[in-house]
Amino acid sequence: MDFFIQLFTNPIGFYNQHELLIAQIGINSILAISIFVTFYSGQLTLANAGFMAIGAYTTVIMSLYLPTPLPLNMLVGALLAGVVGFLVGLPVLRLRGVFLAIATIGFVEALRLGVILNVPITGEGQGLKNPSADPLGGIVPILASLPVLAYLVWRLTQTRLGQAWSAIREDELAASSNGINVPLYKMIAFVIGAVLAGYAGALETHINFFVDPTEYGIGRTIQILTFAVVGGTTNVLGPIVGAVFLTSLPEIVRGFAAYRDVVNGIILILVIIFRPQGIVGRGGLAFIRPRWWTRWRAPERPASAH
Amino acid sequence: MHAVDGVSLEIEQGAIFGLIGPNGAGKTTLVNLVTGYIRSQAGGIRLVSSGGTIELAQRPPHAIAGLGIARTFQTLRLYRNLTAMENVLIGMHTRRHDDTLQQLIPFTPLRHDEDKRLDEARELLQRVGLDPDRDGDRRASTLSYGDQRRLEVARALALHPKLLILDEPAAGMNPAEKDRVRALIQQLNGDGLTVLLIDHDMRLVMGVCQRIAVLNFGRKIADGSPATVSEDPAVITAYLGSQAQKSAAHVPGSEAIDIVGEKAPLAATEPAMPLLEVKDLAVAYGAIQAVRGVSFGVARGEIVALIGANGAGKSTILNTLSGLLRPHAGVARFADLDLSTAAPDRIVRQGLVQVPEGREILARLTVRENLELGAWARRDGRAAHREIEGLMEQFPILGQRRDLPAGQLSGGEQQILAIARGLLARPKLLLLDEPSLGLAPQMVDTVFEVIQRIHGEGVTILLVEQNALRALEIADRAYVVETGRILLSGTGAALRRNPEVQKAYLGG
Amino acid sequence: MAQQVVNAIFIGSIYALFAVGYTLVFGVLDVLNLAHSAVFMLGAVITYSLVALHGMPFLPAAVIAVFVCGLLGLLIEFVALRPLRRRNAPPISALISTIGLALIFVAIVEQATPGTLFGWLWHDGANSVSFPSGTVPNPTYHVGGLTIEGTKLGILITSVVLMLVLGYVVRFTQVGRALRAVAENRRAAALLGINVDRIFASTLFVSSALGGLAGLLFGLAISDISPYIGRDQVELKGLAVIVLGGMGSIPGAVLGGYLLGLIEVLAFVRFGSNVEAGVAFAALFLVLIVRPQGLFGARLRERL
Repeated sequence: MDFFIQLFTNPIGFYNQHELLIAQIGINSILAISIFVTFYSGQLTLANAGFMAIGAYTTVIMSLYLPTPLPLNMLVGALLAGVVGFLVGLPVLRLRGVFLAIATIGFVEALRLGVILNVPITGEGQGLKNPSADPLGGIVPILASLPVLAYLVWRLTQTRLGQAWSAIREDELAASSNGINVPLYKMIAFVIGAVLAGYAGALETHINFFVDPTEYGIGRTIQILTFAVVGGTTNVLGPIVGAVFLTSLPEIVRGFAAYRDVVNGIILILVIIFRPQGIVGRGGLAFIRPRWWTRWRAPERPASAH
Repeated sequence: MHAVDGVSLEIEQGAIFGLIGPNGAGKTTLVNLVTGYIRSQAGGIRLVSSGGTIELAQRPPHAIAGLGIARTFQTLRLYRNLTAMENVLIGMHTRRHDDTLQQLIPFTPLRHDEDKRLDEARELLQRVGLDPDRDGDRRASTLSYGDQRRLEVARALALHPKLLILDEPAAGMNPAEKDRVRALIQQLNGDGLTVLLIDHDMRLVMGVCQRIAVLNFGRKIADGSPATVSEDPAVITAYLGSQAQKSAAHVPGSEAIDIVGEKAPLAATEPAMPLLEVKDLAVAYGAIQAVRGVSFGVARGEIVALIGANGAGKSTILNTLSGLLRPHAGVARFADLDLSTAAPDRIVRQGLVQVPEGREILARLTVRENLELGAWARRDGRAAHREIEGLMEQFPILGQRRDLPAGQLSGGEQQILAIARGLLARPKLLLLDEPSLGLAPQMVDTVFEVIQRIHGEGVTILLVEQNALRALEIADRAYVVETGRILLSGTGAALRRNPEVQKAYLGG
Repeated sequence: MAQQVVNAIFIGSIYALFAVGYTLVFGVLDVLNLAHSAVFMLGAVITYSLVALHGMPFLPAAVIAVFVCGLLGLLIEFVALRPLRRRNAPPISALISTIGLALIFVAIVEQATPGTLFGWLWHDGANSVSFPSGTVPNPTYHVGGLTIEGTKLGILITSVVLMLVLGYVVRFTQVGRALRAVAENRRAAALLGINVDRIFASTLFVSSALGGLAGLLFGLAISDISPYIGRDQVELKGLAVIVLGGMGSIPGAVLGGYLLGLIEVLAFVRFGSNVEAGVAFAALFLVLIVRPQGLFGARLRERL
């Protein structure tokens, strides 16, 4: 309760006290958006933690060895994640359903255990110290990026591209009969998801002094998945709400902080059984999507000229 | 297995071309070949237009759609959770220039295109008979069945196709709805659209097409104007079974009818003490009402047939009786068992056994294992074993292949296996769903002989058949099902003579 | 080298035993039960708890633990799977709900210390423990220069016997035929009078009992029992095993288990422990891309 009282009565104090939490909420929200993009196109891919790792390591390694400015390093990290996403997507996106999920899990673990732990430049098991970390400054790009990315992805779902994703999610066969190039649009979603995850990984290194390889395992991907499932994936608000809710839950209910995974597990099961569309879904918090966001009720002119 | 074998068709621009044939003849496979969902092993498919000739074979489906070939699906494939408008808007995909990046720029009202698209989508909905104001914002899955069919046509039209392929657009519709489909097809054709129409319903196809090709067992058996095709003896045999000509000669007054006629008065009325009693049964899949208030009965010792077009709701009735679907209204009792609540395994143990459509044998288990599972519901292991041996002697095609995976049997052999497997559960009432589906004529004869033999051994039978003539021949009584309702009932012989039935289901 | 092969066979049996349960559920229910590794962990934890905290002899403790794990399988079926089947939810939903259960199982053990809610089950929180020495007699045999520990031999024999029994039941009994029927086509199976729900529940029971057994054998042999042994040691390796063998194939899972054991040991000998850890996932990834039906040719089961 104190959490909310402080939030509403003393927002500045709240901000100062919970800066790290807010930063983490921001990063988790971006990660949730990244998994949302692939979900929205009907694919259960669980590679996000791997792309995060690529973004994070690239940024830190560049900071360590190159004189390039930090924003550039982060950008390169995100783009490199996208490039790897494209290369991984080529073979993997032919799989579907549970096989796709397993293959992407395999990618995450093969990357972490096979590459990161074996290449000296990544510090192997020890991880890397990040000299340029700035926990207080790092929160700024996070809070600035989140609304921009959320807006862009939301707009994206309204475009021709987004409609194609919807069609593929609903029925791949029908989508191709409407002339939608299914493999291409799946790949676009996968790469965008990879870039966003890589970017979130890069942002995260900025608030941590340390890059720890154990952070980028399958547990992290499952956490991201939980945000999306609990929040709902009918529109981009869902995963963000899920990330905000689940990240701040241990802070809100202090007594259960130790049992946060028990609570998360119960929430996950309850949602998937009783509310498969998530918190923000048709009939749920969907009402916070105002009416004017859908546009075809708007034109008040005779539709049938003929 | 050749699903489609050496078929040549030529569809002229501006024509309505009909493709007909019995279930399993390869019609949908052909459509899937043309639209790129299946790669052909040999042969070519060419689209000829003013710009030149384009080879379609080996192109992916979306590229073929991009060339202007639109299709609908036999089993509805709408974007169920999207609105009707969204469905149509997605249909415009290939015509819409890629404005993704423009759309990302905030506060730029680049809505001119969007308004045009919305107007066009509304127009398309109206064109197929949907009301954009009422239906536009509804999710596709909440529309009625007929409206969903129409929406699928609207979505296909959104492509501005050169060729529109309609795969059974009227399946499961009643005559009035079918007439609307027919009017729609004619209207579209009038606007200059080339149409390839695939349907079961002879009336629809004959009435609307300028030219018709008939497929059977993956081969083209006839091609020509509706008049020539309907008189082609090969077509009549394919559609009505090998006995068609013989039966066709049996006009009222001939001996065969009289023999049935003797039985007729006894069974023509509903049984007083039915073994199976169905009253006002109603079943729905989501928003689609598949069965709307059906009542009938089956008495001990009868063969009762349910006939009707594809999608009329016959299989839904059987699956409800077997406990796989739950009715939302009505009564179904079998002996003392309430079928609307009993679990499927309990229903089988009480003696109501279904041999399902498409046979559904367990392809990876051997023939013998399939039979042994047929006796699952019984507790007398040894007697069941003897019975299995007996059946394998009785049906040597099963006995000789006892250790082969059942998936390697031919269609007819699988049907015999499925029936034998059903018998092992000791049925009091055997439900047979389309036992002749996709079988060669002589195999159909064998299957019907088997059915009559089983009936002779005292098993009551409820038969669902698309081959209406054959079904009516052996049935004591029959019901005609149409769009989830019972339209007519009577003795098999009486229905066979009924001109309405002949016209609708016997191709007469 | 020969000694390494012996180790490979032994660790391979545990992988195989674990993976057989994993693949059984996938084969019959078409569901990837990601709580299986948590049950594996609980098999070890419950046995340890009964032996070390409650002073029970090993054998009855193991029997009770295996039985309890079977019951946990029923819990998975009734809580995480059946409600979704009733709703005709896509198979992916079951993947997510079993993840939920796995989170709960692991967190319960992880948070248990004396005096807490689950203090009776576990005292050591996130730490790793091992069975008190002398829990089971462990004679050592020397055969032709090889050292073979008695427990490991026992583990090998137990798992081989159980897998043979399971194979026999599935292949040659009426229940096994029913199981295969449900796996292939549950509609057809229901029409034959098979109670599909009961088959599903039994499958979960057997699968989880095997998973629990694999866990307690692992705890016994490796002397490492912690809330994370399922997640870290077998969850994803088990996935690799069943993918290698072809998802849903029991013989495939057995062969895949031994194959993975062998690959890992070879990788360890040639490249060291870091590579050993990653090799399973590289194999998983490669096989899915090159041969998604598995190395041994069982057909890809997923429906369109």
